[in-house]
Amino acid sequence: MSEEIAENSPMDQPNTPDPLLQIQDLSVSFPAQGGQRLQAANGVNLSIFPKQTLAVVGESGSGKSVSAMSILQLIPTPPGNYDTGKILWHGFTPPIGHSFGVGVDLLRYSDKQMRQVRGNQIAMIFQEPMTSLNPVYTIGQQIMEAVLLHQTVDRGQAVAIAEQALRDVGIADPSSRLKEYPHQLSGGMRQRVMIAMALACQPELLLADEPTTALDVTIQAQILELLRKLQSEKGMSILLITHDLGVVAENADVVAVMFAGRIIEYGSVQAIFNSPMHPYTRGLLRSMPVLGRKVDRLDTVMDGATIPEDFPEGFVVQPHDPEFKPVAGGAKYGGNHAQLHEVQPEHWVLCAAETDDAKAKATQPELAYRRASDTIAATS
Amino acid sequence: MWRQVLARHGALVGVVWLAVVGLAGAFAPFIANSHPLRIVMADGTTRYPLLENLTPADVAIPLVLIVVLVAVVLRRWVSSKWRWGGCVGVSAVVIVCSIVFVNPPQIVVFAQYRQALADGSAVSAAYTVIPYSPSDRFRDKPELKHPLPPDATHWLGTSRRGADLLSRMIHASRIAMAVGFIATGISLIIGVIIGGLMGYFVGIVDLIGMRLVEVFSAIPVFFLLLTFVAFFPRNLYIMMVIIGCTGWVGYARFVRAEFFKLRAMDFVQAGRACGLPLWSILFRHMLPNAVAPVLVAASFGVPSAILYEATLSFLGLGLVDEPSWGQMLSQATGAGGGFYWWIAAFPGFAIFLTVFGFNLFGEALRDVVDPRS
Repeated sequence: MSEEIAENSPMDQPNTPDPLLQIQDLSVSFPAQGGQRLQAANGVNLSIFPKQTLAVVGESGSGKSVSAMSILQLIPTPPGNYDTGKILWHGFTPPIGHSFGVGVDLLRYSDKQMRQVRGNQIAMIFQEPMTSLNPVYTIGQQIMEAVLLHQTVDRGQAVAIAEQALRDVGIADPSSRLKEYPHQLSGGMRQRVMIAMALACQPELLLADEPTTALDVTIQAQILELLRKLQSEKGMSILLITHDLGVVAENADVVAVMFAGRIIEYGSVQAIFNSPMHPYTRGLLRSMPVLGRKVDRLDTVMDGATIPEDFPEGFVVQPHDPEFKPVAGGAKYGGNHAQLHEVQPEHWVLCAAETDDAKAKATQPELAYRRASDTIAATS
Repeated sequence: MWRQVLARHGALVGVVWLAVVGLAGAFAPFIANSHPLRIVMADGTTRYPLLENLTPADVAIPLVLIVVLVAVVLRRWVSSKWRWGGCVGVSAVVIVCSIVFVNPPQIVVFAQYRQALADGSAVSAAYTVIPYSPSDRFRDKPELKHPLPPDATHWLGTSRRGADLLSRMIHASRIAMAVGFIATGISLIIGVIIGGLMGYFVGIVDLIGMRLVEVFSAIPVFFLLLTFVAFFPRNLYIMMVIIGCTGWVGYARFVRAEFFKLRAMDFVQAGRACGLPLWSILFRHMLPNAVAPVLVAASFGVPSAILYEATLSFLGLGLVDEPSWGQMLSQATGAGGGFYWWIAAFPGFAIFLTVFGFNLFGEALRDVVDPRS
């Protein structure tokens, strides 16, 4: 499998289009106890390509949501702070003063400029469909508010757009549904409305922050199916944040595993699931219950992380320390010197290199993402 | 929500009383007025003295009330944006027009129509239900020894100065309601804005806001009012502003607490992620979800403002000639130690029932809004 992939994608000639969004070396910190600052995201590098689904997995507090919220500048500052990094947006309509194709740094945008991006070019859907809709307005009013804000349409056209958006997400009888209040809808319905709201303005990138976590399993499948369908119809990219590995396996093209604010493993969905390299990823996969496999106890993430001999020669991934506190970048996790290394073709792992030979394999993240994306393009 | 509130008998009684007081206040000159609606003079001319003597407030208040009621009635057919926009617009036009175009005569002789009817220079006149103005002291009937107890001509008797008590009470309800609602309105606006900003921004804004709240809670409103009326001319509007500017702390606390809760809600985040501007998130999306407890607090704030005004007037520090329930109460005891029960009982009951009515309404509203208590 991996050999095939290597043949299909020439190492030095990436043939994919430019990425839609690049997060470069993003660090976000929050004040913690004792005057310290907690690095919620620590040198995160991510790239999302057009029409691609990038899944970011990790446990709570690993920095997945923080990274996604940073894209829209939704982190409250203070207490949060964007320490370093750039978020380059290559999407539609760069504002005056920026040439097309260079990309604009969303972190440097003023609030006013940001409001043009939010909902219009990059939309976001949230975890809790129960609380994501304002209980005092009808869903029609809420969808139309976003439409009227971003598009130059009159009220009648906005109603038509809202109806079409509801029809797109598979809600029957949209014209009467528009007049209903959120409490009249079921959880799955509300999440569909949320998606309709997010997509009403035709964004190029959808940030889905655990879109199915609060739904029951059959509805989860429906919503994910719907997202897949809408993605192929509208040709948008999705940044899917989840801790459900099943969701990742079914939906993602590329997977980034996050832990303690850093991306620790990155690769195509096949690479991550077939040959996980990082002890944390292995632990994560092992702790997932598998249908038909009988076990007395499920493995925990911590147990799986103490097998250094599993790692290729020359690379030392520090064993997972049970006392480890999620303050990323400490010496215990390979320190800040740890880099993404291409351990296998199209498969990158965060580790500290011991030998010079190994150090040479450290890859610029940008190239890594581009090549991984090539792989996806070649295999799909 | 309103249906549930009105399903409670206490609240219904309270609301009915408040509606009576409110309507009586708004339409006071059309209920109790010494000027006839229409008078036919002996020379055949017909005059409309009541309309000629209306003040700008007499014209504006009923018209604005009618506009608001029409807007409420139209809620099924007209979208809220047009309804409230139109409501505010038409009200503003009405108020400006009445200030500009309504010019009542400066000198009013209440007795002239009665005298005209008596000496035959007028043939006939049509009066309102109560044909006495609040300041009409019956100078044409010096034989009466005021105060008169209730009888067929003066249903609730007359005051010590000789004015009809019922007429004074009807006109006084306008002042009571105006003080209650305008002072509470000022408090609400200040409290919602400061509380909303505190709750949404937290951190340093909250810190400064809370210190401001503490400073204002330490101000004794009543002594501030006493000091003020001692140094400055009596002015109802300044009284309203003082009560309003010191009473906002409660609302600010309520709104702050609600906004604390709401700012973490996903729909607020979703609103931000949609690119909504700050004012829209604060006042269009968060405020309607926080308004219920504030309304409850406001329904207790109105009677307390009314009580402030009544207390000041009772102490003789209120308005000089305008009728007021508190001022009437203070006239119940005569110079010679006489006690006139009707002057004490009727305005006293009016104050009591109004405050009680607001409290009943507020309690019912609180029960509906917060079923836990």
